[in-house]
Amino acid sequence: MGFFVLRALQRSRTPLSRLLSPQNPTFQSRWITSTTDLHKPEASAAAASEAPRPEIPPPRTPVGGARVHISSPEDAIEVFVDGYPVKIPKGMTVLQACEVAGVDIPRFCYHSRLSIAGNCRMCLVEVEKSPKPVASCAMPALPGMKIKTNTPVAKKAREGVMEFLLMNHPLDCPICDQGGECDLQDQSMAFGSDRGRFTEMKRSVVDKNLGPLVKTVMTRCIQCTRCVRFATEVAGVQDLGMLGRGSGEEIGTYVEKLMTSELSGNVIDICPVGALTSKPFAFKARNWEMKGTETIDVTDAVGSNIRVDSRGPEVMRVVPRLNEDINEEWISDKTRFFYDGLKRQRLNDPMIRGPDGRFKSVSWRDALAVVAEVMHQVKPEEIVGIAGQLSDAESMIALKDFLNKMGSNNVLCEGNGIHPHADLRSNFLLNTNIGGLERADVFLLVGSQPRIEAPMVNARIRKTVRATHAKVAYIGPPTDLNYDHQHLGEGPQTLLEIAEGRHPFCSTLLSAKNPAIIIGAGIFERNDRDAIFAAVETIAKHSKAIRPDWNGFNVLLLNAAQAAALDLGLIPESKNCIGSAKFLYLMGADDVNLEGVSNDAFVLYQGHHGDRSVYRANIIFPSSAFTEKEGTYENTEGCAQQTVPAVPTVGDARDDWKIVRALSEVAGSCLPYDSLAAIRARIRAVAPNLLSTDEREPATVSADVKPEFQYNMSMSGFKSAVENFYMTDSISRASKIMAQCSASLLKK
Amino acid sequence: MSFIARAIKVPPNSATLEEARSRTFDFFRKACRSIPNVIEIYNLYDVVTPSQLRSSIASQIRKNSHINNPKVIDMLLFKGMEELGNIVEHAKQRHHIIGQYVVGHGGLVQEVDTKDQGNSEFLKQFYTSNYF
Repeated sequence: MGFFVLRALQRSRTPLSRLLSPQNPTFQSRWITSTTDLHKPEASAAAASEAPRPEIPPPRTPVGGARVHISSPEDAIEVFVDGYPVKIPKGMTVLQACEVAGVDIPRFCYHSRLSIAGNCRMCLVEVEKSPKPVASCAMPALPGMKIKTNTPVAKKAREGVMEFLLMNHPLDCPICDQGGECDLQDQSMAFGSDRGRFTEMKRSVVDKNLGPLVKTVMTRCIQCTRCVRFATEVAGVQDLGMLGRGSGEEIGTYVEKLMTSELSGNVIDICPVGALTSKPFAFKARNWEMKGTETIDVTDAVGSNIRVDSRGPEVMRVVPRLNEDINEEWISDKTRFFYDGLKRQRLNDPMIRGPDGRFKSVSWRDALAVVAEVMHQVKPEEIVGIAGQLSDAESMIALKDFLNKMGSNNVLCEGNGIHPHADLRSNFLLNTNIGGLERADVFLLVGSQPRIEAPMVNARIRKTVRATHAKVAYIGPPTDLNYDHQHLGEGPQTLLEIAEGRHPFCSTLLSAKNPAIIIGAGIFERNDRDAIFAAVETIAKHSKAIRPDWNGFNVLLLNAAQAAALDLGLIPESKNCIGSAKFLYLMGADDVNLEGVSNDAFVLYQGHHGDRSVYRANIIFPSSAFTEKEGTYENTEGCAQQTVPAVPTVGDARDDWKIVRALSEVAGSCLPYDSLAAIRARIRAVAPNLLSTDEREPATVSADVKPEFQYNMSMSGFKSAVENFYMTDSISRASKIMAQCSASLLKK
Repeated sequence: MSFIARAIKVPPNSATLEEARSRTFDFFRKACRSIPNVIEIYNLYDVVTPSQLRSSIASQIRKNSHINNPKVIDMLLFKGMEELGNIVEHAKQRHHIIGQYVVGHGGLVQEVDTKDQGNSEFLKQFYTSNYF
């Protein structure tokens, strides 16, 4: 035995002589670590107190970049964490003070974005002069508090809590999807005992059906209630709750009911154990065998920051990334679960529709030659290009440049309406950015249903309503918003009443300090959009929503491509260009109405999914999806972000801008850029804000420089812009999970 | 251990470029002599003729014709002998031989298109792959 110990000591970095020297105080404690000495904390505490402790421990960096903002110096208090003094503002908890001091306290129930429950007891620390260890997440830090996180008492307390938690937790880590990223697994390795003393049977809990997205194994639940608090506080649904008491306590929906929230997938992330895991991802992969690619989401105009986890050529799952300005740490269910659409209905070869109406795959060389020939046969003004809702800025500028070179100026982006205004950026951006919505005290939603159009913006509004009791008024078709709101009316009639000061809501709006008016992008498709915008601008003027320090005039866009398309100037020259088109270039445009297209028009569909427009297409160019290419997207608040390729392209597909560039050469009007860098140099000349990625470029000119006009307003009510939240684009329409969701979760 | 090491003794390095050259020819002859055997064991009768295989071997050797360091040539010869040994011992399968020596690196589609003459470098690369 002694021989092995000596060998081990020789291998360790500490020289044996120093360890064995009697002056070294560390040698007083046992160096073969076992938990037995922790069972007698008093004795070892006495031993530790005798040992000469270093006077000033080295400063540690705060956990996870934790920062403190102390508004006024008299609010600051000083506490000592493991003998190291830290200054924190009043009202912080002991756990937060420890994080600032760089000590990571183990925790299960505490989550910085949720209310404090204090029921897991894992965060116990020792505080001097307190008779018992205290739960640091629930204890406010007091001036001069001496917090000890690493004493035998604290260690023993954690070990005991761990033993109790593991008493009923099944030991099925090898078949648990959380294995490898499980808080309980990690913390039991770090803080737990090496043995348990319970020999009785473990309890078992019936699994709950929470719908097609969240898989439950309720026996694994440790009753931290994070999911319950998330559902009630962030998602705003009262679906989850705690049932029973004592050892009969369990999480569940109160009645046999699914969890109907557009944010329900986030309970998978906040669950510290494997009780709530992803149902589509169940038993598909282990987290250590996947490659994470930090990219952004394109299913809505918010541009949530996501990490795409892939194994080989396959996207295995999507998880959120922290971005305080955009999505905090949540993502919507569509973002999280639509990835299986990337494996279905993919276009992988260039195809031409033959005389029999069936598609036949051809080589790129032939396909490009056919299209180039057709393009030269039609008149230049009969060429129309439509960018789809998932197009990136690079391909849109290439498309616009190419069609301009061919002599056509009819390039548009679907969703922006037939006659968009792109002159003033403030007229199509969310000018109070998403984070700035938290400062608003009155919201007026005009024809916008943020819960289904942009769940992350809706979560922000809900957060504001919860925190500051901001008032929300809504004009539009009946909808289900998950916060208190006033439904003022269904159509422009109510809007006019408010604009003319006849509506009772006006008094609320006028007394508001920071009013935020949010217009839905569904209004872009209306013929009287100018009149509605004029009315909203009048309201904004009356309620002083546009000031130098506050811009409360907002447009909530629907699609990822919209903002960049307007910045790049994708505006058609003629209003009826689709009807008169003889050559239609659809770059991923599936939601554009093709009924007006004449029968002899030649339709080119370039995209990654065989979706709606393919039925009309004469020729198909396969292109890469957003997980396979590098592209710039601008979100609704004007923040440009880039996707990063996570997986290789499918089949013979090419990036969108490369196809346009190659076609331009075959058609004889070659575009002058060959690389992404060159195409970005071109974007710099048109819209330089698209190149400053991850930075929000606010609109500089406000709306009041616009000339006054009188427009005719139709009195037909606003329609909802999104029919089915789970199926809005070609990828989510191809997704099986999204189909299941719309079957089971949509309220009919 | 030692008896295996003795059995597969690596021959000493070539002293001069001349010696390396003659060894290369020896290797080529050896390879050519094994061609009928290779065609027999991999059943390549209706796939390839001996002369095609010969020219394939010759082109593999010519690919390294610019090398004039005797040590490097010896190393390449050793690798060639190893490959030849593997083939003759039937350590490979039929598709290995067909893929490497019959079809070659160009693949089944031969780029013989003369239409690409006037195209830019971008378009030529576009036709081959998405990644450039």
